[in-house]
Amino acid sequence: MTTIQLRRAGSPKDEWETIDLPSPAEAGLTATSWNKVSVSAALAWIQRKTDPSLAFLLSCRRGLCDVCAVRIDGKVVTACTTPVRDGMRIEPTKDKLALAGTIIDISLVRRARI
Amino acid sequence: MAVAEFDPPMQAFDVIVVGSGAAGLTAAWHARTQGASVLVINKGMAGRTGATITTGGGISIAGQTLQALGLPGDPDDSEEEFLADTLRAGQFLGDQSLVQSMVTGIGAEVERLVALKTPMRIMKRAPGHTSGRGVHISGPDIQRIQLQAAVDAGVRFLENFQSSGLLQDRDGRVVGITGLDRATGEVRSFAANAVVLATGGTTSNWSLRTAPEELTGDGHAMALQAGAELIEMEMLQFLPCCLVAPEMWRGLQFPWILGPQSGIRAWLLNKYGERFMARWDLERMELSTRDMVAFASANEVVEGRGSPNGGVCLSWAHLPRDILDNYFRISSNVSADWRWEGFDMTPLVDRIRAGHAIEVAPAAHFSIGGVRINSAGETAVPGLFVGGETAGGLHGSNRLSGNAGAQVLVQGKNAGVAAARFAEQHPTRAKPGNDAELTERLVGPLAQRDGAAPSETKRRLTQLAERALSPVRDGVSIKAALNELAEIAANDIPNLSTRQPERPWNRDWTDALECQATVHVLQAALISADARTASIGAHRRRDQAKISDAPLSHGLVRGTPDRLQHRFEPVAFSLVSPAA
Repeated sequence: MTTIQLRRAGSPKDEWETIDLPSPAEAGLTATSWNKVSVSAALAWIQRKTDPSLAFLLSCRRGLCDVCAVRIDGKVVTACTTPVRDGMRIEPTKDKLALAGTIIDISLVRRARI
Repeated sequence: MAVAEFDPPMQAFDVIVVGSGAAGLTAAWHARTQGASVLVINKGMAGRTGATITTGGGISIAGQTLQALGLPGDPDDSEEEFLADTLRAGQFLGDQSLVQSMVTGIGAEVERLVALKTPMRIMKRAPGHTSGRGVHISGPDIQRIQLQAAVDAGVRFLENFQSSGLLQDRDGRVVGITGLDRATGEVRSFAANAVVLATGGTTSNWSLRTAPEELTGDGHAMALQAGAELIEMEMLQFLPCCLVAPEMWRGLQFPWILGPQSGIRAWLLNKYGERFMARWDLERMELSTRDMVAFASANEVVEGRGSPNGGVCLSWAHLPRDILDNYFRISSNVSADWRWEGFDMTPLVDRIRAGHAIEVAPAAHFSIGGVRINSAGETAVPGLFVGGETAGGLHGSNRLSGNAGAQVLVQGKNAGVAAARFAEQHPTRAKPGNDAELTERLVGPLAQRDGAAPSETKRRLTQLAERALSPVRDGVSIKAALNELAEIAANDIPNLSTRQPERPWNRDWTDALECQATVHVLQAALISADARTASIGAHRRRDQAKISDAPLSHGLVRGTPDRLQHRFEPVAFSLVSPAA
């Protein structure tokens, strides 16, 4: 069994949800183990199958655009290039920037927004 | 269940641009520089989404044009040669007025990028071109510089806004846009004197793809519904030799870059170890054109000679290790420690060094077809302009390397300038006649709880596209897909639902809106693929009886989603004849 810990935007610092992932095959993935699967794919599975309210972003899928940036075990990484590890702790990179779920506001055009 | 809607007063702009990739930002900058007030609307965060950031970075430009800008270029390479190469690559299906516009217009845009101090280098190799014409600007660089230029020019932005329909007055003229603010969950409309669609291609509708997540063809669907025509929608460019596994690396073109693209003689093998390219291009083998390698690879799978995960094998085992060890010296894309883009590719390279073949397949890469425009970026709908990958007709049946970079810049400029002029000459505050209808379709999924699951519908649509619109096609599969699509359109699309009622960041809802667009885009592509019974360029039919002797024709689609009509129109050889 692979388990991850998740803390969403707006949750207190010590409030971690424990989420059990089924085997990749049961999750409809071709991978033989979760360590061949990105954190982004795991978040997508959670939103589709167990928690429709989970908010997350994904765009380029190759570590270039940074919209999927999260903090994992204290370190800021892109979720799309980080494989799932049993027991990993995933949270928004900065509470001040957190919008919803794991989404943070890293707009490049803040001054020009309407 | 009725869903109450917010009704704030509509903000108005001279020009609204949808999309913040290179095409959209170029359009916005030029429209603003013409004096228009400009709003850029983007589905995600501006400058962080879309295909521009992921591009290889080639921008085709004739050697003589480079020299005129004071840059080193091949003095023997003219705009005429560039035009001829582009038309030949597209087997003369390309709209010659659009090609002419690209080859003559790219110099001014490269000059603008030079003035913006964009880091660029002059290319020496340009696959498929008769000269090494082109400049190279990395995707993240061009994205960052264009975004800053637009901000500095006074362009305004609305992020995380999913546009879903064009507002039109009673005469059909575009007067604004409606969509969903993902962050707040509000349905909002904006008035505009002109709208530019630069939403990128449609390649996110395929499961194996190089494209980012957003490219579902929202712009194509909006344009079609507004009455615009789509052209050559069956034409899709696949990039061969992309990874099929593991999950996290699906769609990465790393093996292509480590092999044929760099001129390295890796071998493509089927499950029997046969070097199957010999059947198609004995001279160039794996270094053949992208469309040929993609077709040959997909054909092995269709004929039962593929690898376990539906690909073929790419092997470096016949080469000495030194070739790979020295790779970083010939390529600036990969570092000596095998970091490529955001990934550490060492485990894959170790497998290659140990003598294993890598499983690869063609991935959906670029939409050749799209909305039909003229060289000013105008569509058949008054007030609606299109540029970049959303527009079709330029590349004919196949796209040359670097020509997407030139396309997005030139067409972005043309659409932006034309939209600003139209906005100035034809200001309007006419009431939209279709706002209620657009809003109803938009909020539909939020009002339903137990209908079709959007993620499941999405999965079915991508599988359908992958089956029937692969690099190898046949009439039976296309017709079967059209039937399945009709069933999805009738049963699932009107019943798309959301499992929870919260409006902000409701992914079920935003997935549902993407499905609404995808179904129309795929319908147009399948109808076009069905009608074109002869193989040409990227569209290869296994069931073609003989080489067609019919005149070369554009495939065009228009009409309401429930009644799309396809027609052919002979290609006008206004500048160069195929016989010449």
